[in-house]
Amino acid sequence: MKNIRGQRWVSACLAALTVVSLAGCGGHEDPKNLIRQDGEEERVVNLFSPMEKTDPDAENVARTASDLTVAMAEEALNVTMVYRTYTAENEQDKTYDEVCMDRARNNMDDLYLLNPDTILALGAEGKLMDLSGLDSAKNLREIIRTANTVDGKLVAIPQEVVAYGLFVNVELFERYHLALPETPEEFLECCRVFQENGIDTPIGANRWWLETFVFAQAYADLYNGGNTQAEIAALNSGKARYSDYMRSGFEFLQTLIDRGYIDVEKAAAGEAIETEGADFLAGKTPIVMAYWGAANTETAYGKTDFEMKVIGFPSSRGQMPVMPMTGLAVGADAEHREDAARVLDVMVSDEALQVYSETNRVISPSKNVKVDCVPALEPLNDRIEEGIYVLGSNAGMNVEQWGNTCLIVRRLLGGASVEECMAAFDELQDAALNKT
Amino acid sequence: MKEMSNKQKKWKGLSLLFSIILIFCIFGAIVFSVSQKISMEMSASAIQNLSESLDLIQSTIEAILRSEAEFQELIAQEIAQSDDPEEYICGSKSNRTVAKISLILSGETEGISSTGERFTEEGLDFSAGGTVIGLPVSRSYLNYMGTWSYTMKCPVERDGRVLGTLYAEYVYDAIDQSLPDGFYNKQASLYIMDAESQRFVLKPKGMGQRSAGHLNLADFYRANNIQDQEIQAEVEDCLRTGQNVLFYHDIREVHALNYMWAVNGGTIFLVGYVPVEAIQQEGRTVNQNIIIVVVSLLTAFFLCIALYYLNWRQQDKLRREREEERRRYNQQLAEALQAAQIASESKTTFLSNMSHDIRTPMNAVLGFTMLLDRDAENPAKVREYTKKITASGQHLLSLINDILDVSKIESGKVALNLEKFALSDVVSSVDAIIQPMAKAKRQEFHVEVTGIHREHLVGDETRINQILINLLSNAVKYTPVGGHIRLRMIGLKQRSSQYEHIRIEVEDDGYGMTPEYLKTIFDPFTRAENSTTNKVQGTGLGMAITKSIVELMGGTIEVTSEVDRGSLFRVDLELRVLEDAADRQFWEQRGVSRILAVGGSAEGRESILALMQDTGVRLDTASNAERALEQIRGGAEFQVVLLDWEGCGLPAARLLRENLPDTIPIVLLAEFDAEGMEKALQLRGTDCLTKPFFVSALRIKLEELWSGKACGPEAEEDGSLHGMRFLAAEDNEINAEILTELLEIEGASCEIAANGQLAVERFRCSEPGEFDAILMDVQMPVMNGHEAARAIRSMDREDAGRVPIIAMTANAFAEDEKAALDAGMDAHVPKPLNMEQLKKVIRQLGERKESL
Repeated sequence: MKNIRGQRWVSACLAALTVVSLAGCGGHEDPKNLIRQDGEEERVVNLFSPMEKTDPDAENVARTASDLTVAMAEEALNVTMVYRTYTAENEQDKTYDEVCMDRARNNMDDLYLLNPDTILALGAEGKLMDLSGLDSAKNLREIIRTANTVDGKLVAIPQEVVAYGLFVNVELFERYHLALPETPEEFLECCRVFQENGIDTPIGANRWWLETFVFAQAYADLYNGGNTQAEIAALNSGKARYSDYMRSGFEFLQTLIDRGYIDVEKAAAGEAIETEGADFLAGKTPIVMAYWGAANTETAYGKTDFEMKVIGFPSSRGQMPVMPMTGLAVGADAEHREDAARVLDVMVSDEALQVYSETNRVISPSKNVKVDCVPALEPLNDRIEEGIYVLGSNAGMNVEQWGNTCLIVRRLLGGASVEECMAAFDELQDAALNKT
Repeated sequence: MKEMSNKQKKWKGLSLLFSIILIFCIFGAIVFSVSQKISMEMSASAIQNLSESLDLIQSTIEAILRSEAEFQELIAQEIAQSDDPEEYICGSKSNRTVAKISLILSGETEGISSTGERFTEEGLDFSAGGTVIGLPVSRSYLNYMGTWSYTMKCPVERDGRVLGTLYAEYVYDAIDQSLPDGFYNKQASLYIMDAESQRFVLKPKGMGQRSAGHLNLADFYRANNIQDQEIQAEVEDCLRTGQNVLFYHDIREVHALNYMWAVNGGTIFLVGYVPVEAIQQEGRTVNQNIIIVVVSLLTAFFLCIALYYLNWRQQDKLRREREEERRRYNQQLAEALQAAQIASESKTTFLSNMSHDIRTPMNAVLGFTMLLDRDAENPAKVREYTKKITASGQHLLSLINDILDVSKIESGKVALNLEKFALSDVVSSVDAIIQPMAKAKRQEFHVEVTGIHREHLVGDETRINQILINLLSNAVKYTPVGGHIRLRMIGLKQRSSQYEHIRIEVEDDGYGMTPEYLKTIFDPFTRAENSTTNKVQGTGLGMAITKSIVELMGGTIEVTSEVDRGSLFRVDLELRVLEDAADRQFWEQRGVSRILAVGGSAEGRESILALMQDTGVRLDTASNAERALEQIRGGAEFQVVLLDWEGCGLPAARLLRENLPDTIPIVLLAEFDAEGMEKALQLRGTDCLTKPFFVSALRIKLEELWSGKACGPEAEEDGSLHGMRFLAAEDNEINAEILTELLEIEGASCEIAANGQLAVERFRCSEPGEFDAILMDVQMPVMNGHEAARAIRSMDREDAGRVPIIAMTANAFAEDEKAALDAGMDAHVPKPLNMEQLKKVIRQLGERKESL
């Protein structure tokens, strides 16, 4: 009985083999013209964005998240996105922002991923398209809309709310019995203890992000004191001086420099994460500053061997997240501006932002999208959820904040005094007042 | 021999296996080498193809550069011809290829650009020495548009005089538009690298974020994990000398071919990688197809092997089955032959034995007959001879009976006659037969009945008797004088309430049997041959008959024995229970609701309790008379008292009698040969009952007591035939004469009819009551006994139905008896005629007649 069953199986297999073989003999009719004729012409949208240097084996979650939304747009609109990228090789190179400005001014691309200062500058020049008519713009949180509105035009829409914080090695803090600092004084005390224990430069810094310390102290009261609009109005009218707000932050930075808590030379020439990341990951540096997404991606600080937490910057009002507004903008005179606007509409739709936020675990600019963050980000997230933060950029202010402050901090790193830095702010403010 | 054959088979199998493996190895090696060769050829071809593609791209870029340079020379000529070169410059417009043109007049360090800005050579690096058709090319840089560009400079000459230098800024994006939109199915990556700065000045479309574009050569190395110093050094060397580089390196775990392809004499390089899979796509496809073909062939081959194997296995199985069947048949035949030989030998032996056994008593009969004839005048001798003749005749008869029984059982013609019977009857009849035999050998014979719940059962009483008598008579025979024999009837746990599970044990302490003999004890035609058993006469068929009967009843028989220690036969039977409502009714009608059993063993009392269980009578027990008295004085009302004679004796009987009213009977339970009971039986209302206890026996005894019949040994009254007149149908004259003589000795008369017909006629002619009974032979000429009996019963006369007809025939089997009764006869007496048995039958018939 068993044998008969076995024979049946074998026979069935042979039959199947025969059928497969015969099927392979079937011929295809060859077309006369061997060249395949392509269909309609490919529609292209050029996206200019910064390029992060990559590791051979690491996954970049943020990049994956963005790519997912790009793929959604391509599928929805039947367009092809072409990436154009730039990253400065060193401090002698043009910065990404500079290149961005050049390209936008010369209509080189259609879509741009812009930092806050470039948003403001290009928006003011009228080089960016008004996006307020997009369907997805209706879903934006009000703070996002405000921060990206220049001259009444919504000129950029972000895919994530970028929040900067201090990334701390909790194990080192615990080793030296230190509580996570709330105020500038506590922060300085922590640095002192670290230094005493052999950690010569407790703060890992680069030439881009030291300004976050300044913003936290400068605008802690302005954004959280309940009188924000009036204070900004006073600044725009010249009744209040930016230098008055900025002074304490610069003095604090000067203290850090004077006491050697920051390696000035390294910081002045250093690129973000590239300069300070290795020592932080190796457990040599207890404190670095970075943006929210760095806690999620393996190319930054998404995978540490120690317990890491992301807290706000020290301020008189405690730990303070700093939130500049990056965003995607469409060139006003771009070659494919209409397609670019449609692509952007898809990329910042609730559906796309849901995918983006879930992949990247970030705060979404849409009021309709909410996702949980990774445990390390909880302290920072808690503050943001409480509504306690400062903006690193604000299109409502007549002096661009993010880019200018960054440049003035570099002057400080270059040896300028706090007074000279304050004078620079006054110049900027005066120039803005004269312009109006 | 068999082992050698197995080894050879194993060796052959292994050789075949190794041969197959070898063939496959050779086949695999050929396939592998072909596959490798194809792969290498395809790889070389693909590398060639890649080189050609890169050469083509290189040529394209160089052509673009040449065009640009030529274009720039034309512009320079035009400027040289123009009246106002600077105006010419300002009037030029930027386009996608030329970002701007600038002019610095001879002798000046600053000039003007087409963008309207002032222009200096500052920031432009021509030190690398790269040229296009003789025009110097600058190092790549990011221009004012935020895109990578390069500048070529060209002298503006008029009439051999240099007016100035024309600078034209070209963007790499222009070259990008002329490059293929991805090659090798868009799997290849293509960067353009400035050789001097090693910066990537043109990146592939669609790379960037999705696949992490690269910044410069160092970033390319790092991102793609190209850390081999030798490769890096070789690349550096080639970059310096403007040579091409191709090398294998895995990119993100994909085997890839990396290239650095010099363009324009090495001022710029094409950099990138192509997965080897993409290059060898055709080769891979060919290899895949080869693999598919090989796998298909192998599959087909293995399937054929499998088919062949399955078929072979089936054939082998069939062959083995046939061989097994043949072997089994041969074995059966051999066994049958052996059995036949044994049977033949047994029968020969048996015949020899029979011949001896039959001749021996026959010799005695004939010998003593001769002696009788000679000593007829000597009454003492005559009596002695006749006694011996009778004994020899009896033995001869039992021999004949056994032989007939065996042949009947063997031919399967035995049928059980299932009827209601009482176990007590079986025990008492067996006891009555065996006790005298045992007494004669001064042996002690005990009967024990324990655990039996029901006394009235359905079965073939005659055959059960036969079993018991066979076993017990053997026990008596094979137990020396003074030995002990026990019959135990044990009630086992019932498997069904409908059946009584009985174990019969017959144990003796006699000669016992050897283990060899035990093996054949139940085989017919075998008999233990030894000095002990030879002392005892027997056919050797008794045990075979017994076993056959037991098995016919669905029971089992087994025996254990030890020489000189005795034997134990154990028979297990299941007999259907018969509800006896009359029994329960009897006790109710007689008002017996409580009986007291005094003395005896606890086991005995338990046995009584079990038997009384279904009667509805409560049984109380007391271990002795004193305890019994306590119960009686305690107010318990008993209607009957059972007193164990052996355990309590006369004093106890007296004590109880004195304390009980005369109306309450005391029944003494005593052994068969109990002594000293006379005084006890003189007590009022006291009688005795032979052990073992049975309810039916107690019932009969109580009926006798209440009806006033006395206890004591039954009078030996077999009934007298004195004055009776019989009509006998007997065709054999000698038998007729013997019968007539015997009856006359008993004082009876007999009229002989020579066949059934004559007997019927004679009865028809007789007066009513003329004959007290008709003795009917069965096998007779003219009309046989059965027909005659039917004819008589069917006669239209008053006594036709009630005149006793007794079958008297040599057909002595149970079936014969049944046939006689079915024919209307009243009883069956086997030949040779036993007068005592005849008298007993006649008496029983008389009693039945009276009761009717």
